[in-house]
Amino acid sequence: MKEPLRITLLRHAVLLLFVAISLYPVLNVVSISLRPGDRLRSTDLSIIPPDWTFESYVKLFTEQPFLRWLGNSLVVSGVVTLTGVALASTAGYAFSRFRFIGRKATMLAILTTQMFPATMLLLPLYVLIAKLGLVDTWLGLMVFYTATALPFCVWQMKGFYDTIPASLEEAARIDGCSRAQAFWHVVLPLATPGLVITALFSFMTAWSEYIVAAQVMQDESMFTLPLGIKGFQASLSSQWGLYAAASILVSIPVVAVFLAFSKYLVNGLTVGSVKE
Amino acid sequence: MATVTIRDLHKRYAEGFHAVRGISLDIADGEFLVLVGPSGCGKSTTLRMVAGLEEVTSGEIRIGDRVVNDVAPGDRDIAMVFQNYALYPHLSVRENMAFGLKMRGTPAAEIDRRVADAAAALSIEHLLARRPRELSGGQRQRVAVGRAIVREPEVFLFDEPLSNLDAKLRVQMRAELARLHRRLGTTVIYVTHDQVEAMTLGDRIVLMNHGVIQQIDAPLAIYRRPANRFVASFIGSPTMNFFPGAIRDGAFVVDGDAARLPLADDGSGLGSGQSAALLPQGPAVLGIRPEDLVVTGDAVPFTTAVIEVAEQMGHETLAHVSVGGSSHVVRVPGDRAASPGDRLSLGVRPGGVHLFAADDEGRRLN
Amino acid sequence: MGSLLRTVLLVLLVSLAAAAAGCGPHDARQVVTIWHQSRPNEREFLADEIARYEAEHPDVRIRPLYKETEELRSGFQAAALAGAGPELVYGPSDVLDTFHTMRLIQDLSPWLPEAERAAFVEGGLTTLPARDGSGRRELVQIGDRFGNHLALVYNRNLVANPPTTTDELVKLAVASTTDADGDGRTDHYGLVWNYTEPFFAIPFVTGFGGWVFREPESSPPVPDLGTPAMTAALGFIRDLRDVHKVAPANCDYELADSLFKTGRAAMIVNGDWSWSDYLENPAIDAAVAVLPTVDATGLPMRPMVAPKGYSLNANARGSAAEAAMGFVRHMASDDVQRRLVQRLRMLPARKTVWDDPVFSTDATLAASRAQLENGRLMPVATELRAVWDGMRPAYQAVLGGSLDPAAAAERMQHDAEGFIDSMHRRIEPSPLVPVLATVVGLGLLALLVRQLPTFVAFLADLRRNPTAYAFALPAVAVIFAVIVFPFVWNLVLSLSDMSLVRFRDWRVVGLQNYAEVLSDPKLWGLSGVFLKTILWTVINVSLHVALGVMLAVALNGPIRGKAIYRLLLIIPWAVPAYITALTWRGMFDYEYGAVNLMLGKWLGLPAVNWLGEPLRAFEACIIANVWLGFPFMMVIALGGLQGIPQELYEAARIDRASRWQQFWHITLPLLKPVLLPAATLGAIWTFNNLNVIWLVSNGGEPQDSTHILVSYVYKSVFNLYRYGYGAALSMVMFLILLAFSVVFLQRTRATESVYR
Repeated sequence: MKEPLRITLLRHAVLLLFVAISLYPVLNVVSISLRPGDRLRSTDLSIIPPDWTFESYVKLFTEQPFLRWLGNSLVVSGVVTLTGVALASTAGYAFSRFRFIGRKATMLAILTTQMFPATMLLLPLYVLIAKLGLVDTWLGLMVFYTATALPFCVWQMKGFYDTIPASLEEAARIDGCSRAQAFWHVVLPLATPGLVITALFSFMTAWSEYIVAAQVMQDESMFTLPLGIKGFQASLSSQWGLYAAASILVSIPVVAVFLAFSKYLVNGLTVGSVKE
Repeated sequence: MATVTIRDLHKRYAEGFHAVRGISLDIADGEFLVLVGPSGCGKSTTLRMVAGLEEVTSGEIRIGDRVVNDVAPGDRDIAMVFQNYALYPHLSVRENMAFGLKMRGTPAAEIDRRVADAAAALSIEHLLARRPRELSGGQRQRVAVGRAIVREPEVFLFDEPLSNLDAKLRVQMRAELARLHRRLGTTVIYVTHDQVEAMTLGDRIVLMNHGVIQQIDAPLAIYRRPANRFVASFIGSPTMNFFPGAIRDGAFVVDGDAARLPLADDGSGLGSGQSAALLPQGPAVLGIRPEDLVVTGDAVPFTTAVIEVAEQMGHETLAHVSVGGSSHVVRVPGDRAASPGDRLSLGVRPGGVHLFAADDEGRRLN
Repeated sequence: MGSLLRTVLLVLLVSLAAAAAGCGPHDARQVVTIWHQSRPNEREFLADEIARYEAEHPDVRIRPLYKETEELRSGFQAAALAGAGPELVYGPSDVLDTFHTMRLIQDLSPWLPEAERAAFVEGGLTTLPARDGSGRRELVQIGDRFGNHLALVYNRNLVANPPTTTDELVKLAVASTTDADGDGRTDHYGLVWNYTEPFFAIPFVTGFGGWVFREPESSPPVPDLGTPAMTAALGFIRDLRDVHKVAPANCDYELADSLFKTGRAAMIVNGDWSWSDYLENPAIDAAVAVLPTVDATGLPMRPMVAPKGYSLNANARGSAAEAAMGFVRHMASDDVQRRLVQRLRMLPARKTVWDDPVFSTDATLAASRAQLENGRLMPVATELRAVWDGMRPAYQAVLGGSLDPAAAAERMQHDAEGFIDSMHRRIEPSPLVPVLATVVGLGLLALLVRQLPTFVAFLADLRRNPTAYAFALPAVAVIFAVIVFPFVWNLVLSLSDMSLVRFRDWRVVGLQNYAEVLSDPKLWGLSGVFLKTILWTVINVSLHVALGVMLAVALNGPIRGKAIYRLLLIIPWAVPAYITALTWRGMFDYEYGAVNLMLGKWLGLPAVNWLGEPLRAFEACIIANVWLGFPFMMVIALGGLQGIPQELYEAARIDRASRWQQFWHITLPLLKPVLLPAATLGAIWTFNNLNVIWLVSNGGEPQDSTHILVSYVYKSVFNLYRYGYGAALSMVMFLILLAFSVVFLQRTRATESVYR
């Protein structure tokens, strides 16, 4: 459908403005990564410093185990993403479609887990992880990250399932599907935007967390990316160049994951399936 | 193909709503049975229980010889067309139609053949590669029907399949469904709130209200002899005219003595074979369909009334008149002049009298 | 979807295999883990020494792990409490009293006989009175070097000779503060330093004859801040900026550092950790000098100095402790100390190394030594933290112009005393504890009995509806497996007196913590933290949702370049928040920040003192947090928009609904199911979002005015060690959020579907 030019221009104007707002601080980070001598601040608006250098990037790959951290983080985040999506997609479905005892209470209880200040949970959480012998393992981290990401993901998936008409599943069941098959063949493909958000969110949770990781991981060879990068930061003597360069590099996989998924995020599928 | 037998079926929801209250039905093999009634009457719930989408509270449903109460929907050998079509949006039309067969493990060649046949029957061959969102409403409807017929089920279930189409398409699809049923001869249970669909499609009509069956009969029988006032008012368009009053001294007297209709045994008003003497005396409601309330002279004289509004339809004119303080409709042939202000002297066509009890139930008296 | 999924799985499997391969055979050596706070160049030295030691002791493996100051402190507390943690902690002496009081570290005396102690410089070995009250002193740290002292670093391109007195300092600074291009903005500043942090003010205080604790030091020490010396020092610092105008209007550590590194500042007051960066910087010609003498008093400006060294975890026993101490003795040995001096140019803890010829050949080392020798040993007292916390707000108020130096000195004294009081507060168990326990127990029992029918119904439902439970259970189980223990822990803690003085031997004392939380005027007053938290949450979430939906709607039209817009717009979400939040802090700088520069350049607006004024600082935090959060909501809204059937818009157009009406009556209601959970959780997260406040306003600056509840908890728990109080406050926060969620979800019917 054609839109009036006025509206199209308005869209572009709004989007361009926000792209600028989004990018400018990040360009500043790029700028920090290009500065020699670990200078966090600059005194002007220039993005490319006059004495720019790729030294920090080179150092990351030559002097720091950056690739190892990257690999570790990919494993941890990958597992968390898969389990997060698997568990949230099923639980969300149960909360959306079934009416069972304790449904509302459980949904609220899930939400309550997010209500504690994370800093207060660190100590008991560490005690728990230590008693279970999960210190220095990824398993503890993975379970914790999954549990952290799940409440949002479950609610989100429930919201998406709510928008999928029940008659589609009914049609599938009459076509010979069991409930589980109808879920797999019909509901899940239609909830793709929800799955994408769930996947992105689970990924990001595991990808960027370092407070718990710092407490649990003692072996540098098993560090995740944020934990490794954290080492560049010290009170009053941070290696800002490395820190900024690593931050930029860390966001590339996120952007790549988003790029790969965004097609499914914006492919509306339910449209046209039913007539309300 | 199979019979469907329903015995004393109840549906009570967890919140306590009693949607279906003891329905029994015998649907013959190959019959086209229409469940009709106002919204909330329990017709859809009944259909969904037959489909297996709702749990049965009590009672029994058989398809053929098999009690299916606890059989999964997919194992009941039924197909269903939903009001909103419920096409799988992520699958093409071909895949939509093939889905049910695939789930049953039908060989690919067989699936292709059946899909092609059904597509041909519905003239949607050219749409097979498209996605539902690329189809018009009428096309989606055909695909939904197509998806049901490829399955070659024992029973077809239709849940208000035409209600989302515009008027013209609806007429067209109606005829097509009728043709389809004639060709396939499969048992059909069809739910609608539209009496025209019910009249034109059904071998028999089941009229429901408040979870209870009001009447089961062939369309014309229901039209001619509605079992109660609710049925009488639901079937027929424009609706039957009702005159509250009383049966007294061999005649029906409209409240306030606004009009009087003699009830004789001569078949003039009551219809042949009916005896005025058997009618209970006292309060009652007189029902006359608009086409039986006539201005011609060979009818039983009833009353005179002034036209308030005249709706010209061409072949006829619907004249709204006031009798006893309430408005009624008279069908006047198109060739006869009828305009507001005209005074009509009205009579009742032979056999056009329906008498109902004045209570809430409104049972038929004659 | 299939190919992508396969790719992801492949990557996973490959990296899992790589991880498995990397594990290698089991290492039978005795592992000694060290948590240390070494800077990058020191880490190399440490690694070399470890390699040397491991070569000599093949049965020992030393595993160094860098921890940032705060992380080391809180992490070690948690780990030691759990009966684990590293064998050794390495760092400055300032945390030792805390660790010692909490019984997290052990007495090192058995490993260092009295005779060997003479080899150390005074202060190189740190002892504290034993907790048994015997008057015996325990050795809590074996130092290997001194440091952390401030000195004057000057750029020889701008200043030929360093000042020896404060008058000279002012003269030199004024002379080198210039505006070369005459645009009204200063290009070079005479003197810069981190004047937001009281630690950097200590040389001024000592120069005017003051100190942090009253002397002689008692136990616990008494702060000595409300003195004329403090008043004079504060006045002097303020005049440097306001009268002599030799320092920028707002100057935190990073700005001072960057200015000096780019040659835009003639002199900087900074610590030994920073010097090598300056000396090696090709853009400037830096040299280190001793801080000048204050003319008014004739006293030298004396920085705080502290030894750095090793302490042994209380949980380390047997061979682990032996191996660990073996390594410590190695690091404190003559050979290693000499290498330390020669390679790192650090000041050793052993007397015997002080005669090394390098002290006379290396000017920087000589200056460092001179500065150390007139420095003052940092008190090893937990109360020092309370002093810093007491000084900071008033100090910043002086520089913000809202308090005069004399009043500020008084306020410092008052606040510091208050903090020390609450640190040492002992809560006696309430006699009502048994009653309370009985009531709670009975209550739980009654609840259980009442819920019995529900439980029976649940069992029946379980049999009738197994699919539902099977689908819901795994996720619910994982979530609660992680949260239940911490929740109960926190609940019990909130009823306890766990604090600095009762860290390992805490008791349940009753509801005193709650009483204190609920009666705190700082929290609940009209300008209190609670209202500010609500404001913070409401503004942030509204803007997140509004901007997110707006951008999603803008993206959801027939325009070109959607994919690129989409990608660029999620970038604030993709880049780690830590660095972007700090970047925002930089952008809000008064003089050099992009925000003010742009406001001035394009809109002609006067500069806003974003980080210096309480309200502005709060606004700055909000802006940064909105920036961080809107992409997430945009992604959610984009996903939600896909579920809205196009027919609805067509129908609306036929009804001649305007675009705005379509948005209001179709888009928003149908986005609801998807947006609601996100908005609810967004509110919860924002309510508990510590990072942005902490980073952008540097922990609540100015004057602890930007705090929201969670940063307030953080500060009371981690700075004042009030665990019981912190737990009670977080329980209260939890209840606030719970009440909000229940009401909000009930009103919006979020648990129900729109189509039902």
